[in-house]
Amino acid sequence: MTTTIMRTTARVTVPVVLVVAISLFLQGHNLPGGGFIGGVLTAAAFVLIYVAYDLDYLESGVLGREVEHGTSVFEQRTVTAYRRILLAGLVVVLASGFGGMLIGDPFLTQGYVHLEGVPIYREVELASALLFDLGVYLVVVGSVLTIVSVVSAE
Amino acid sequence: MSLLVIAPLLVAVTTAVCTLALGRRPRLQRAASVGGAVGYVASVSVAVWALVLGPAAPGAAVYQVGDWPAPFGITLVLDGLSAFMLTMAAGVGIASILFSVRYVSRENQRVYYHPLFHMLLVGVTGAFLTGDLFNLFVWFEVMLIASYVFVAFYGTDHATAASFRYLVMNVFGSALMLVAVGGLYAATGTLNMADMARRLATPDAYGIDPAPVVGLSALLLAVFALKAGLVPFQFWVPGAYTAAPAPITAMFAGVTKKVGIYAIVRCYFTVFATASVPVDLPGLTAASPLGFLAPVLGAMGVASIAVGGFGAVGRDRLESVFAYSSVGQVGFIAVPVAIAAAADPAGAFRGVAIAAALVFALHHALAKGLLFLAAAAVEDATKTGRLRHLGGLAGHSPVLSGAVFVGLLSLIGLPPLTGFFGKFLAFDAAVRGIASNPGPSSALALVALLVGAVLTILYATRVWTSGFWGRETAAVEVASADSGQVAVLVALAAAVVLVGVGFDPVYRFAETAATAALDSEAYVDVVGLNGGDRA
Repeated sequence: MTTTIMRTTARVTVPVVLVVAISLFLQGHNLPGGGFIGGVLTAAAFVLIYVAYDLDYLESGVLGREVEHGTSVFEQRTVTAYRRILLAGLVVVLASGFGGMLIGDPFLTQGYVHLEGVPIYREVELASALLFDLGVYLVVVGSVLTIVSVVSAE
Repeated sequence: MSLLVIAPLLVAVTTAVCTLALGRRPRLQRAASVGGAVGYVASVSVAVWALVLGPAAPGAAVYQVGDWPAPFGITLVLDGLSAFMLTMAAGVGIASILFSVRYVSRENQRVYYHPLFHMLLVGVTGAFLTGDLFNLFVWFEVMLIASYVFVAFYGTDHATAASFRYLVMNVFGSALMLVAVGGLYAATGTLNMADMARRLATPDAYGIDPAPVVGLSALLLAVFALKAGLVPFQFWVPGAYTAAPAPITAMFAGVTKKVGIYAIVRCYFTVFATASVPVDLPGLTAASPLGFLAPVLGAMGVASIAVGGFGAVGRDRLESVFAYSSVGQVGFIAVPVAIAAAADPAGAFRGVAIAAALVFALHHALAKGLLFLAAAAVEDATKTGRLRHLGGLAGHSPVLSGAVFVGLLSLIGLPPLTGFFGKFLAFDAAVRGIASNPGPSSALALVALLVGAVLTILYATRVWTSGFWGRETAAVEVASADSGQVAVLVALAAAVVLVGVGFDPVYRFAETAATAALDSEAYVDVVGLNGGDRA
């Protein structure tokens, strides 16, 4: 699939997809969107890169590293990184759940503050639900990309 | 609001994440996994004692997750019934993980075994605690996703086929459940179980029509029966039970099957029982969803006893015998529940029958957990699970055989073991069912229990005589049982004996659970549906 048309399309669409993913993730706690859908879209952008270039492109082309083909796909550096992202997401979700308990609220209790007078934005809403969403986002990105790279390596 | 209600869930989910994080340090991972299971047992015991059984206990407690008031948020409820089921899960869970550490190979333990085990525990705990119908669906999924991986764990042809069947069945079941939950939401306007019970009790006050509830509850019954492995949904059981790692099979038989039974009891007796809907089907007229449940679940139970019993008699592998036996034993749990559904709502007999089902469930969890683990220990020692290659184990490894002997006797129902009380109470319920509701269906239930009991004696005796008595075969002569595995088996066998010897408090616990299951008003009071009052 590594045709010029495919590569050019990917080069244009991937940044758009990533920006949409991030905006969906940021607005998710009170508008349509959220960590899950943002994570799926981000993973889709990566899958597009995988399809247009190849599985090693992220390491060799983007990060400029030598790709080590070890004994198992699970040992590859990108896959290890995806699994770490998944784990980090779980930790963030759990921590955001426990966070409210530190100040005596029940598990998973969320809060928010409105910040006034911020330059450019003027008013910004900071919601603790965003932290929970971040965890979900990381879990989705990590797990989908692990599955995609392991399955497509076979 | 008590933190103790959610404590078991938090312990299990934290352990799952910790064991995942420790994937590169196998020794620490095993320690964390066992430590987490010990913590789980401790949190369950403290919660059950402080909230349900202790002298100063309120009897039930509620936890509103995220501080959203019921019925809008997700409510967790720990009452007598949930406490009984959680205690059972904790007992089987700790035995299973201790056995896993000694049984599953080190390499396989590193492949997400421990995180998945604790996720399975998370799903089970959530299902027992939740007071929200949709949330019950979510916990079922958590439990199932872990189960799928475990059934496919060894990656053999047999395991992949069994896992695929299990997956297809349960995806279909989940879709049905979602339809039923959505329908109930449309019909009653709520997903909170307590709120649903309240609305169904006084439908006019809320402007709802409870008529669709019977049909939707029938959909739910099919899903729950699938989880419990009742006939006609039993065919995934033998494949999945023989494919999964043995300690997980002990969990499947001892705990996840009971989730199906629990869900039937909770939904029908606590929630749907409050509705008075005329049921008019060909050959079946009743005044409430329970009147529908009684004959249907009774027929399923009777069929399960027959299929499980006859299936177990002819099997050659130890695990297969116990897997079919498991199908039959769930029938023994379902029949008292059906008798309770047919009983007079005002009488005390309904509670007695539910308590009988719960005691049988406890017996099955302990004895079948023990037997599945013992089958694994035998296979580990002799490298074969086939009865025709076994023989003379009783003389070769007496301690292991002693534990199996206790398990088999409990299955048959010899006093003073737990199984005796389970069977005794089931028969007691069946006989009383005939007295209070004379007719061919009540008589059929009793006959089925008798036939089931005879079949149990038959296959238990067959396992014992061909596997453990007689001359030592070549496989047995070179066998050496792992002492750690045997220690877990002995502990479980001791539990089977002790629960039977000191049966009085156990029965009181079961009675408390049955009372909690039947008392919808108390359930509604505990949940405290004050959401909206603040506005």
